[in-house]
Amino acid sequence: MSKKQRKHERRERLAQLAKYFVLAISLFVAVAPVYWMLTISLKSEVDQFATPPKWFGFDPTLAHYSDAFVSRSFGKYLITSATVAVLSTLCAVLLGTLAAYGLARFRLRGSLDRRLSLWILSTRMFPPIVTAVPLFLLMRDLRLVNTIPALVIVYTALNLPFVVWMMRGFFKELPRELEEAAMVDGDSRLGALVRVILPLVTPGLAATAVFCLIVSWNEFLLALVLTQTDAAMTLPVGIAGRVTQYEIKWGVMSAAGVVAMIPILVFAMAVQRYLVRGLSLGAVKG
Amino acid sequence: MSVRFEQVTKTFNGSAVVDRLDLAVDDCELVVLLGPSGCGKTTTLRMLAGLEEATSGDIFIGDERVNDVPTRFRDVAMVFQNYALYPHMTIAENIGYPLRVKKIPGEETNQRVKRVAEMLEIGGLLKRRPRELSGGERQRVALARAIVREPRVYLMDEPLSNLDAKLRVYMRGELKRLQRELGTTTVYVTHDQAEAMTLAHRVAVMRAGKLQQFDTPLNIYNRPANRFVAEFVGSPSMNFIEGRIDRSAKMFVGDGLAYRLEETQLARLNALERVTLGIRPEHIEVSTTEQEGWLKASVYVSELMGNETFVFLRLGDQRIVARAGADFRADIETPVWARIDVDKSNFFDAQSGEAIR
Repeated sequence: MSKKQRKHERRERLAQLAKYFVLAISLFVAVAPVYWMLTISLKSEVDQFATPPKWFGFDPTLAHYSDAFVSRSFGKYLITSATVAVLSTLCAVLLGTLAAYGLARFRLRGSLDRRLSLWILSTRMFPPIVTAVPLFLLMRDLRLVNTIPALVIVYTALNLPFVVWMMRGFFKELPRELEEAAMVDGDSRLGALVRVILPLVTPGLAATAVFCLIVSWNEFLLALVLTQTDAAMTLPVGIAGRVTQYEIKWGVMSAAGVVAMIPILVFAMAVQRYLVRGLSLGAVKG
Repeated sequence: MSVRFEQVTKTFNGSAVVDRLDLAVDDCELVVLLGPSGCGKTTTLRMLAGLEEATSGDIFIGDERVNDVPTRFRDVAMVFQNYALYPHMTIAENIGYPLRVKKIPGEETNQRVKRVAEMLEIGGLLKRRPRELSGGERQRVALARAIVREPRVYLMDEPLSNLDAKLRVYMRGELKRLQRELGTTTVYVTHDQAEAMTLAHRVAVMRAGKLQQFDTPLNIYNRPANRFVAEFVGSPSMNFIEGRIDRSAKMFVGDGLAYRLEETQLARLNALERVTLGIRPEHIEVSTTEQEGWLKASVYVSELMGNETFVFLRLGDQRIVARAGADFRADIETPVWARIDVDKSNFFDAQSGEAIR
């Protein structure tokens, strides 16, 4: 082996090492807080505050979990969160997909289709807090404060622009001839959409739905404003509520946090394949 | 089933893409809409399919006015340029789609799909998906999907233009046989004059939304209605020589050439002064030796095709092309002699470009 070759090989190995080093740091930054939360949820209160911190080697306990989900109403929050997330995602995907299809395929007078798309997007440009008070007043007048429908409506509105823009991009990528062929073949436009177009944008649809689920599941601010009692409190609001004037229930909060994390984690892993494809699908043409 | 366009106009943003089109396609006929891109031929086809709405005028399929009939109830089948196969379905599902939509029982659907697939020799591909197929195979699937329904009319939008040259010629023949066997009225759009000539019972040549001529391929070729049609059909293109009629000498006088006209020809040209002579390359004879009464020209370049030779000649200031035999040889700039077959020539009004008959 020549000297040059050896030098080259050494450099290659160094580059590999550097790559793994950077990866390791990123992984640590991403995973450490999660790990810390997980351990806190399993530690007794004494272990939680030990110095130096106990990363490993503590006696695991499920006390906080039973405290959260048996003694306290976190189980109810969990069900509320799931209901709200699923319903609002369904509504947003259904309405948004239809709207996106219309905006992608039909040209309206005075390029209204383009303008409408921009207006729809513009609702995502201001901070959500701006709408919090008006939304509260609106829901109060509708007598929907502290109800699940209020959250479903608000989250649907929150997710709709995102769905419209994502799906519009996917639809635009498909050649028009596909629906035209379907219609010439005797199908209605809606039939063509359901039988021909939607199966082709399934990856995009899945990715979009997962995003909506995550947004709805994690949303905190509007839920805090619109719900005050256990009747419609979601997990994030419930967890934050354990920071009280007198004590902070780290164990309970962590236990609830771990449970809150699981559905999203499972779902994201299940559709991971679609997620990557879906996101890059829209990236080329928008 | 016959198809009729009556004074059909389509405007986009105020400009007419199809302008007062009158066209009647007979039952069992294959009519080719021929023209350069942007001439309105595809728009015409799409209006017939119901994918575009006519701005004015009436469209009939049989005796039924279909302007307000939605696409799916028109009972026409269309083959798209890019085939528009459904990527997520197998070939069998693709072909069977029109039948499934019509809620035809699964057993019958399967049989019909199988029969059509075998007819088009794609029986072995039924379980595959479109992306696993070659261009020619996709083409056949698209055809099968159209045929399986037994529709009133076939609409074909440049169905062969995505195939390579060899396959295109092959499929052209297949298409022709298929149409003659099935006997279904077909409207076929193309910009390829060879396809038009070989496939059509009649050809409709369009330009800028207007119908130029609607006639049999042979008449289109031999008796073009105007200069545009004459130039568009035929390869290499027809030669045009500007000139005037000298009535006292009974001669056509062009740049670098002059020849005597017969009485009948003179009569046809009546009062016109300036005319354009149109002559097909095969009606110009070329010789390397001097011939009595032939026109003297020089070779600009000659192209050997193997079975024939295209000789580009300089005749005065004109450049014209002649079709010579395979054994014709002449170097650049050598003098040659040419004879124009006046009987086979066409005359056009130099101003309007209309043929003089």
